[in-house]
Amino acid sequence: MNPVEVQSLSKVFETKEGPLFRKVPKSVVAVDGITFSVPKGEIFGLLGPNGAGKTTTIKMLCTLISPTSGDALVNGYGVTKDPQKVRENLGVMLTGERTLYWKLTGRENLEYFAALYHLDSSHMKKRIAELLDMLGLKDRENMLVENYSTGMRIRLSFAKALMNDAPVLLFDEPTASLDPQSSRLIRDIIRDLKRKGHAIILTTHNMEEADLLSDRVAIIDHGKIVTLGSPSELKEKVKSSDIIEIEARNLSDRTAHALESFSEVSKVAISSQDPPGEKGMLKVHAEKGKEVLSKILEFLVRKEVTITKVSFIEPTLEDVFIAETGRSLRD
Amino acid sequence: MPTVTGLRATAEALAAIFWKGLKHYTRYPGGFVLYLVMPFLFTLLIFGMGQFVGGSEAALNFAARTGTTNILVYEILGSAVWMTSWVVVEDVGVALRDEQIKGTLEQNFLAPVNRFTLLIGLSLTDIVITTTLFFAVVGVTVMVTMPGSFFNIMQAFLTLLVGLIPLFGIGFLFAGFVVRFKEPYVFTQILNLIFATLTGTYYPVTFLPYWIQLLSGILPQTYVIDSMRKIVLANQTLVNLYGSLFILLALALAYPTLGYAVFKQLEKKATVTGEFSKY
Repeated sequence: MNPVEVQSLSKVFETKEGPLFRKVPKSVVAVDGITFSVPKGEIFGLLGPNGAGKTTTIKMLCTLISPTSGDALVNGYGVTKDPQKVRENLGVMLTGERTLYWKLTGRENLEYFAALYHLDSSHMKKRIAELLDMLGLKDRENMLVENYSTGMRIRLSFAKALMNDAPVLLFDEPTASLDPQSSRLIRDIIRDLKRKGHAIILTTHNMEEADLLSDRVAIIDHGKIVTLGSPSELKEKVKSSDIIEIEARNLSDRTAHALESFSEVSKVAISSQDPPGEKGMLKVHAEKGKEVLSKILEFLVRKEVTITKVSFIEPTLEDVFIAETGRSLRD
Repeated sequence: MPTVTGLRATAEALAAIFWKGLKHYTRYPGGFVLYLVMPFLFTLLIFGMGQFVGGSEAALNFAARTGTTNILVYEILGSAVWMTSWVVVEDVGVALRDEQIKGTLEQNFLAPVNRFTLLIGLSLTDIVITTTLFFAVVGVTVMVTMPGSFFNIMQAFLTLLVGLIPLFGIGFLFAGFVVRFKEPYVFTQILNLIFATLTGTYYPVTFLPYWIQLLSGILPQTYVIDSMRKIVLANQTLVNLYGSLFILLALALAYPTLGYAVFKQLEKKATVTGEFSKY
């Protein structure tokens, strides 16, 4: 059995919307019957836009949210049947820097959580020293977390997730808000954990990160896994068409999607522009792109779009997302 | 990573929660100073009302109705128990909400430590806080105004310790409501003011209407305040007060059991609705 087995997992939140005394019940499907497994020594990426269901999936796996249906096993223990055992087998880093006690020092935070994980105190000190050293926090261990920089807090939060050396690790956007140097450090550690045989689930909306780190990626949208495979397999799927990237001003959704009426064009996605009229990015997936390019540019110019740059690009995981959903990851 | 199990695991987790709470108290000292001065300020307020509104017969009426002329000690005992109750109900009841606002509640709930240990750990810090509060407020006042009553103070303190157990149960109850419904201070502050009114904090419960006395009868503070006054002001002993002690022990069993059961139910509901991460 794999360390992580997820079978038809769903989560529906029942909410009420509307003015006071006239609230109407509403069901929101956050996760919709997803199935996957993660073997030992694999980094499994959950990639999707904000609100796709990644964090809800992670929270169901770590027992903070109970599933509406389906089940998940962590190291053989069911998240609903044996939540205590699941927690013993997990190391979790949830997103954000407010996951620590700001009025405690870095070391005090780790000591506190080590006790909640029931770590043997004789090994705990060594483990804490090792983690602080690994994450470059050794010389700041006795400083209150409120005086840490954002990057230091995130690194400490990451150290906390590694504290119990759990076989299954869940990292929710582990490098969000980190500078490139710290991001590289975290990625190197994640790769090292994989080599040591940990099963790792990583959620991100950063496609480069998913591509760099993951052995397999599940692209998730509206709570469903729309495609699953290794980054190279997924990118290979979209290689049958050319990808034209157009940087332009005055792009509108309407103009962009009008391009889909061209028979050669399979998918179009536009990055959101804020404020309108500023530069935007259009990605067009088209068969025989070189032949259809002049037609596309002509159409855009006619619609008073100012084109500043055109290039043919190699597919990325974002292009896989566009091909599967017709939307950009940043939408 | 080697782990410990059983009693040792629970004891080490309790110690960690206790120290974390204490460090927070010492690093945010304002709350403790407030708890320390409030019993004196409330006593002054009540004393002032009696003195300036009650007229020349006020002291005599007070003595006739309470059985003592020591207004200061009578009122400070009520105030100190009220503050103790305030600390426990607010700290235990609101602690999880505070963790939720800080963003650390989920981090605690991710750990394999059981929830009962978490709640008890929070209460341990409060035992130290309330003990300090008791000796700083009651101990000092009684020793200054009634020298030689050390043994009485220790008996009063024991009564308070027994009374803390049902109060923690009330705290657990509110911890559940707070995780589920948020708005903790609405719950705890209304409750604390009701406690002051019903439990004889500043006047004898026996002057309340009969049906209100029934409510007073299910609140542990009523017995703690009454027993402490009888011990300190009327020289009675814990042995004489076995009836009140027996009721306190029964409440010490009932409230934590009920409180934890309600907490578990509301916590379960919170995992369905995803409440833990909501602010």
